Amino acid sequence: MSTGRLRQRFQRWFEARLPQSDVITLTQRNVYILPTRPGFMLGATLLVLLVAAINYQLNLGYLLTFLLAGSAVVGMHVCHGTLRGLTMHLIAPPAQYTGASAVLTINILSQRRSIRHGIGLAVLGSGHWVWTDVPSQGSASVQVAFKPARRGLHQVPTLTAETRFPMGTFRVWTVWRPAAQVLVYPAPEPMAPPLPPGEASAGGAATLAQPHASGEHDGVRAYRRGDPMKLIVWKKAAKSNELVSRDAQQAQRHELWLDAHQCGTADPEKQLSRLCAWVLLADQRGLDYGLRLSGLEIKPGGGEAHKQRCLQALALH
Amino acid sequence: MLKPALNHLRTLPRDSRDTLFMLAVIAWVLLPQVDHLPLWCSALAAVVLLWRGWLAVKVQPLPSRWWLLGLLLLTVTATYLTHKTLFGRDAGVTLIAVLLALKTLELRAKRDAFVVFFLGFFMMLTNFFFSQSLLTAAAMLVALLGLLTALVNAHMPVGKPPLLQAAKTAGGMALLGAPIMAVLFVLFPRMAPLWGMPGDAMSGRSGLSATMQVGTIARLALDDSIAMRIRFEGVPPAQSDLYFRGPVLSTFDGRDWLPLHSGFPPRMQPPANLQVKGPAVNYQVTLEPSNHPWLMVLDATQAKPTLIGFEARMTNELQWVTDRPVTDLVRYTAQSYPDFSQGPLRPMAGLQDYLDLPAGFNPRTLQLAAELRRDPRHANADGALWVSTVMERLRSGGYSYTLDPGVYGRHSADEFWFDRQEGFCEHIASSFVILMRALDVPARVVTGYQGGETNAVDGFWTVRQSDAHAWAEVWLAGRGWVRVDPTSAVAPGRVGSLQRLQAPRGLIASALLGNVSPALALNLRALWDAINNSWNQRVLNYTQGKQLKLLQNLGFESPSWEDLVTLLIGIVVAVSLAGAGWTLWERQRQDPWLRLLDLARARLQKAGVKLSPTSPPRDMAEQVRQQRPPGQANDQALCDWLLRLEAQRYAPPTAHTVRLSTLKRELNQLIWPK
Repeated sequence: MSTGRLRQRFQRWFEARLPQSDVITLTQRNVYILPTRPGFMLGATLLVLLVAAINYQLNLGYLLTFLLAGSAVVGMHVCHGTLRGLTMHLIAPPAQYTGASAVLTINILSQRRSIRHGIGLAVLGSGHWVWTDVPSQGSASVQVAFKPARRGLHQVPTLTAETRFPMGTFRVWTVWRPAAQVLVYPAPEPMAPPLPPGEASAGGAATLAQPHASGEHDGVRAYRRGDPMKLIVWKKAAKSNELVSRDAQQAQRHELWLDAHQCGTADPEKQLSRLCAWVLLADQRGLDYGLRLSGLEIKPGGGEAHKQRCLQALALH
Repeated sequence: MLKPALNHLRTLPRDSRDTLFMLAVIAWVLLPQVDHLPLWCSALAAVVLLWRGWLAVKVQPLPSRWWLLGLLLLTVTATYLTHKTLFGRDAGVTLIAVLLALKTLELRAKRDAFVVFFLGFFMMLTNFFFSQSLLTAAAMLVALLGLLTALVNAHMPVGKPPLLQAAKTAGGMALLGAPIMAVLFVLFPRMAPLWGMPGDAMSGRSGLSATMQVGTIARLALDDSIAMRIRFEGVPPAQSDLYFRGPVLSTFDGRDWLPLHSGFPPRMQPPANLQVKGPAVNYQVTLEPSNHPWLMVLDATQAKPTLIGFEARMTNELQWVTDRPVTDLVRYTAQSYPDFSQGPLRPMAGLQDYLDLPAGFNPRTLQLAAELRRDPRHANADGALWVSTVMERLRSGGYSYTLDPGVYGRHSADEFWFDRQEGFCEHIASSFVILMRALDVPARVVTGYQGGETNAVDGFWTVRQSDAHAWAEVWLAGRGWVRVDPTSAVAPGRVGSLQRLQAPRGLIASALLGNVSPALALNLRALWDAINNSWNQRVLNYTQGKQLKLLQNLGFESPSWEDLVTLLIGIVVAVSLAGAGWTLWERQRQDPWLRLLDLARARLQKAGVKLSPTSPPRDMAEQVRQQRPPGQANDQALCDWLLRLEAQRYAPPTAHTVRLSTLKRELNQLIWPK
C-alpha cells in the first residue's frame, strides 16, 4: 500500500473517531502541536549557535543561545495557548444550489483577557485559510466557504483551525467535525427551455377552489405575440420583468405540472436540474405548479414554503 | 520637515512599515561590527539596507534575482581578496554580514524572512568574538528583542497591529524564557572546544605581543581596556613593586625584539635558579583573554598558579606559560615573592646570547659605549657601575618621557640617545639594553604590566592595557639577573604612582566628560569598572570549575559533568511533571455545579436515557419521566434531586437553599438506574 493511501486511511480513521458537534471547546485533548519547517530551522540555528559558543568559549554566546531557546519554548506554549480555551460555534448554513459556494459562519469565543492573534480557519484539506484575531473576552466571526460537489443532504465538511503565532516555529491545530448538515439543491439549468404547457385539470374545481391571495381568479400564462395589451398582467410584469398575460380559460382548465418525463432527457441529473430551473421560473412568475417525480408527487401550489418543499424533493430525490 | 516625514511613515502600508522595522533591527545588529568589518563590507551593507528601505518607502518592486546574484558574486570575490580565504572567522563574519544585508532584497517568500531572522541571530553571536562586555550584552539584548518583535509581528496576519503589541509579546516571551536561560547557563556542561578554531580567532583583541617593535607598546598604552583584575589577600604590595611579568625578549635583530633564539644547547643556557626570600604575596588574578599562552604573575612566582583546564610551566626566564592560548577569561591564584634572586651567579657560556647585537645598527650607540669604556674613570667598571652610569645619564641627560614619540627609524637606539631624546618605555628599555650589551653587560628586555589601580567600589586591583610596560634585566656577577627600570630614571612618575599620562581624549569623550569634575569622572569609572568586573566574575568567568563547585555546594560529593546532565534532566522532568499536574488541575477546575450535572448526565446516559449534551436539569428530569417506566420511586428521587440542583443555581437564595456539597453527597446516595 502506498504511503499516500495509508495516509488517507489514517485520515479517515482519525476523522471518524472525532465527535460531531456544532460547538467545540478547544482543550489539551483536541489541540495538536508539531514544529514547522522554520521550527526545525530554528533548532538547527540554535545548534550551530551552541557549537560556536562552545568552540569559541563564549559565555555570552551561551547566554544568547539559551535565551533564544527559552523564548522558543515559551513561544511554543504561547502558540498552544492561542487555540486552547477557544470555543467555536458553527451557525447552520442555509440551503445551496449545486455549484454555488456554501458559506459557513463560525463564531469564535475567547474568555481570555488578552487578544488571540493569527487564528486561521479552513475546510480541512482545502488550503483556503481565513485569518482572524479574537479580541479579549469577546468573539470574532469567520466565514468559510465550501463547494458541495453534488446535490443532496450533506454533512458540513470537517473544519480545521490553526495558528502559528507568535514565532511560526510551531503549528498548533485542531480538527473539528461539525454536526450540522447542509441541503444542496440541484443546480438550476442555466438556459432552461420555457415551462411546459399546462395539463387538463383532473378535478378542475381543485384549482378554482384556491383563490390567490391577491384575489385574482384568472390564470396567467407567458406573454405570446399578439396578446392584446389589456390581457397583460402589469403588476406581475413589473415584479418579474417578463410579460405575463391573463389566461382565464386556461386557469380553469389547466394545471402546471413539472414532470420529470416532460424534460425530454433521460439523464436523471439533467432532469432534476431542469426541473429545478422550472420550479424557480414558475415561482418567479407567481404560477401555481405541481411536481412529479418517479414515486413522488407534490400537489400544485405556490409560495415560498411550496418552493422549498419542491426543491428539497429535488435535492433528496 | 520632520513632522510630515513621520506622518508619512505612519501612513505607510503594513508591509513597508514591517520591512523598515526589520531593516532598523538589522542595522542595529551590524552596527557594532563596523569596526571589525572591512570598509567595503560595511559600505555595501549600508547601501543595500538604505536601498531596501527606499524601495519599502516608495512601495516599489524588489530588484531582480540577477542583481542579487551579481552582488553576491562581487561579495564573495571581495571577501576572498580581503581575507585570502572564504573560511575562518573573519571571512565568515564578513560573508554573513553581507548575506544578511543582501537577503533583505529577497523577502519574497516567508522562508526568506526566516532566513533573515536566523542570519540575524548568527550575526549577534559574531559580535561576541570582539567584545563580551556588559555594553555589548545590552546592545545584543535589544537586538534579540528587536528580532523577536519582527518575528512575532510577521505572525500577526490580520490588519496592521501596532508594533508595540508584537514587542510586548516578544518581551514577555524573553522574560519568561530568562529562567530557562539561567538554568541552562548554570547547568549546561562546559566543555573544551569541539574542534580547533581558525587561527585568526582572537586577532580582534589587544594585548602584549610576542615580539616588540619600537612603537607597538606606545599604541597599546592608549588602550584603556582592562588586562586583568587582581584580588590581593591582605595588603597589596607597594605599587612600584607590581611588575607583572610577560614575555622576555632577548634576541634583537635590529628592528624587532624577539624571544631568545639561542644557538646554545639547553644545558648551556642560564637556568632560572630562582631563590625567594621574605614574605609571600597571595592573590587571585582574573585575566582577560589574550590569545597568548601567558599567565601574568608578579615577579617572582615560584609555585605553579592554580588554574583549571591549563597546564602551566615556568621558563628559564621566569615567565609562566600555558599549554594553549588563553582564549577565555581565566581565573587563577598565585603566590609571589617580591624579594627574590634569579639566574646564574657565575658567568656561563649561555650568557653570550644576551650580549649579541646585530651588525650594522646603531653605530653611534656602539661608539658611545666605546668612549665610555675608554674613559679612565671607568677603568675597573663592573656591571653595577655601568648600570648606575647609564641610569645617571638618563636622569640628567635631558631625556624625557612621551606617549607620542613619533616613528623611529633604522637606528632606534641612536635616535633615542642622541636625536630625539624622548620616548616611551619600550624605546627607553630597548635603547638601555642595547647600550648595556655594547658595554659587555648581559641584558634583556622584559615586557609585562606595571602598576594598576585599586577600585574603591569593589576592592579589586585593576590593570589596564595602558599599564603595559617594558623594562630591563641585567646580569651581574654574584647577583644574577637584576631588574632595572630605565623608564623610572626618565620619568619617575611613570612607575609606582597613580598619576599616569593621560591619553588625549577623543572628541566624543571630551564632549561627554568635558563638564564633569575629574573626581566624579574617576568615581563613575570606578563604579562602571566594578559593575563590569562583577559581570566578568559571574557571567564571563562562569567555567566548568565554578559549575562543579556549585554542584558541590548542592550536595554532590565528587561532581562530574555527568552529574550536571543528570541534574538538568531532573529539572526538565520535574518541570514537565509540574506542568502536567497543573494541566490536570486546570481541567478539573470546571464549575463544580456543571461537574455535578455532567456526572448525573453520564449516569443517566449509561442507563439508556437519551439526553442532549446541553440539556439543563429540568429537561433531564423530564426525559427521565418520559423514557423510564413510570412508578419507580428511585426515579422520582432522581428527578427531585435534579430540580433541587436547578434551584440551587437559579432560584433566588433563601434559607432553604441547599448547599452544593449536600447535593454532591446526595448524588452518591441516590440509587441510579442500571
